[in-house]
Amino acid sequence: MPRLERLWSSYGMACVLAALCLVFTWATWRPESPGGFAGGESLARALQEEVRAGAVLVVAPDDADGRAFVEAFARAAARVGAPPVESVVGDPPTVRAAVEALAARGAAPRMVAATQAARDWAVWDALRAGVPALAGLEVRAPAPVWRSAFLSPGNLRNVADQTAVIAIIAVGMTMVIITGGIDLAVGSLLALSAVTVAWLIRAAGGEGAGAPAMLIASIAACGLTGLVGAFSGSMITRFTVPPFIATLAMMLVASGLAFIVAQGQTIYDIPSSFTWLGRGADLGGVPNAVALMIVLYLAAHALMTRTAIGRRIYAVGGNPEAARLSGISVARTLLFVYLVSGIMAGVGGVITASQLKAGSPTYGLMLELYVIAAVVVGGTSLRGGEGRVFGTLIGAFVIAVIRNGMNLLGVEAYAQKVVLGMVILGAVLLDSRRRRRA
Amino acid sequence: MRRSPLLPALLLVLLAGCRGGPEAAPDRPQGADAPAPARGVIGVSLLTLANPFFKEMGDAMEAEAAKHGYTVSIVSADMDAARQRNQVNDFVARNVAAIILCPADSRAVGTSIRAANQAGIPVFTADIASMDPGAQVVSHIATDNFAGGKLAAQGMIEALGGEGTVAIIDHPEVESVIQRTRGFREGIAGTPGIRVVSQLPGGGMRDSAYRAAQDILQKRPRLDGIFAINDPSALGAVAAIEKEGRQGIVVIGFDGQPEAKQAIREGRMHASAIQFPDRIGQMAVAAVARHLAGEKLPAETLIPTALYRKADADRDPALR
Repeated sequence: MPRLERLWSSYGMACVLAALCLVFTWATWRPESPGGFAGGESLARALQEEVRAGAVLVVAPDDADGRAFVEAFARAAARVGAPPVESVVGDPPTVRAAVEALAARGAAPRMVAATQAARDWAVWDALRAGVPALAGLEVRAPAPVWRSAFLSPGNLRNVADQTAVIAIIAVGMTMVIITGGIDLAVGSLLALSAVTVAWLIRAAGGEGAGAPAMLIASIAACGLTGLVGAFSGSMITRFTVPPFIATLAMMLVASGLAFIVAQGQTIYDIPSSFTWLGRGADLGGVPNAVALMIVLYLAAHALMTRTAIGRRIYAVGGNPEAARLSGISVARTLLFVYLVSGIMAGVGGVITASQLKAGSPTYGLMLELYVIAAVVVGGTSLRGGEGRVFGTLIGAFVIAVIRNGMNLLGVEAYAQKVVLGMVILGAVLLDSRRRRRA
Repeated sequence: MRRSPLLPALLLVLLAGCRGGPEAAPDRPQGADAPAPARGVIGVSLLTLANPFFKEMGDAMEAEAAKHGYTVSIVSADMDAARQRNQVNDFVARNVAAIILCPADSRAVGTSIRAANQAGIPVFTADIASMDPGAQVVSHIATDNFAGGKLAAQGMIEALGGEGTVAIIDHPEVESVIQRTRGFREGIAGTPGIRVVSQLPGGGMRDSAYRAAQDILQKRPRLDGIFAINDPSALGAVAAIEKEGRQGIVVIGFDGQPEAKQAIREGRMHASAIQFPDRIGQMAVAAVARHLAGEKLPAETLIPTALYRKADADRDPALR
């Protein structure tokens, strides 16, 4: 079955990713009451008689979902000809005070229609125990339907959002690793970029800074980290410093620079509009950072497969001597990949600063290890000459899905690290096994 | 060589084993006083789990939650604001009943708190406060650092008999530390015999505080006391004093870490204003339970410190 094996070697990690998604979907598969409009509607229909008798109070937390729930309930109740229903929207203390006030003027509700979150509040026990008129109070939530917390649209967006920064930096790292190098400075470069962009925006007027100023600040920050990356590259090519050492040194330099720029503090005087990149979702619910990630991956894929520079990167990693003899400028190619890696780390820093609406020199701690893990899990060989950018994207998603899934399942913090480490090890074993076969 | 699917299969089995983690085990033994029925999950993201202070806080949260019928799901932000943001987003996706945070960054945490606010999930902070005015925190539970600083000042006044010169090793980057220093200075202010002659930043860590203390000792051949804003700084000061061979300098720290308690017992350090991470954890979870039961809570609950002296150390069963 050589064909099957080839398929496996090409799409093995994609299969693992799909399997992980299945496992987490299954593991988080629980009955849960629908919220929002659907929940309000279905509950109002289920409680028709009580609603007609005018004995139902609608309760929901004060968020978009809760308000929709109350509105839908009231509308559905009006449709069945019930008198207007009373409702309380707010946190448990607000609800408690409101219900106690109702009871005090002799209008104690016999039944409460609530969202699932509100039904689970301990406030009902307190009311039943504390107010005699409410001793028999019944609290109902919409009939549960089976759904997976992992597979909900909100969570999938969340996973993609969490992947974006690591995945974007991993684009540059993939190129570096394909040339047989490594870039340990990306975590520090992310911090440097985040504080630089925050510092520049503060200098350009802080909260009053305009969009052009923010764009220029972002580009300048990425340019700066690109320069630092290119500097590592020139150390590697000009003085044949091993990439590990050169980028280790730059990791310290960049981290120190980030602390100097920020003076050890968090820079936070940034206008709210700056969060457009990190928190906005303009394209049909796709977060902007994720859209940027997709664009960068398409561009990197085209670069690696369709252009001369892409072929040179593979050639340099496969056999530098042969590449040199066939007329490829090894030095220029290496300089290019470290420049790209620096710029990508800069983009990651701008996104992080935008997501957190602040720039701090402590960002990106140990991030380089997760980025390298994403690249390796994605099937790029640390020996160079081999790898695909889309493989890296899958690798980044594998790591993000595992982390997210474990958080959803409430796996203990220490155990999470063990599992993540095992997954990375498993991916490398898979890779070496495939290599032996090839 | 055709058994390659074995590896991923193994991984999946490993992960599948995660099902039924702490959350799905409400029926584990929970002590004698029968707890309330399972009410839901409280998501907790602590600053780090590498520091025993937060470990103790987390353990106390777990115990207190069981008493009220909740389970806690504790993750460590590893001091990384971006990771903490992801963790809070995961809690929101999981629809937890409430979230307790020890912010990794008092400013950056605002984003996460707003996300939880939008999803209608109440947020509490423990030990470190959020500085984002737009983010709604139900209640903040932390050590009373200002009063702790005053307490340390009283200890200093007592030890010096109301007369002498003292130095402060501080770490003004951190809000809670600023409070400690303010409290100490205010406590000292009422005693004209005692003067603060020097105040240097010590980075909050032993090695940098050691260097700061050396500088102070060089400059002040006659010095009677040092107040260090935390125990690592105090231990750094003790090391500098011992290296210089200076006698009779009273060192008072803050925190109550085991090593500092040991130093107090051995008489190398005079005292420490100790914090109670377990009380912070317990009060934080109790605050969640009270909020969900509809009680009004104060915006801030401060937990007093206690001055730990040699007499306490001699009685402390945890020390050897």
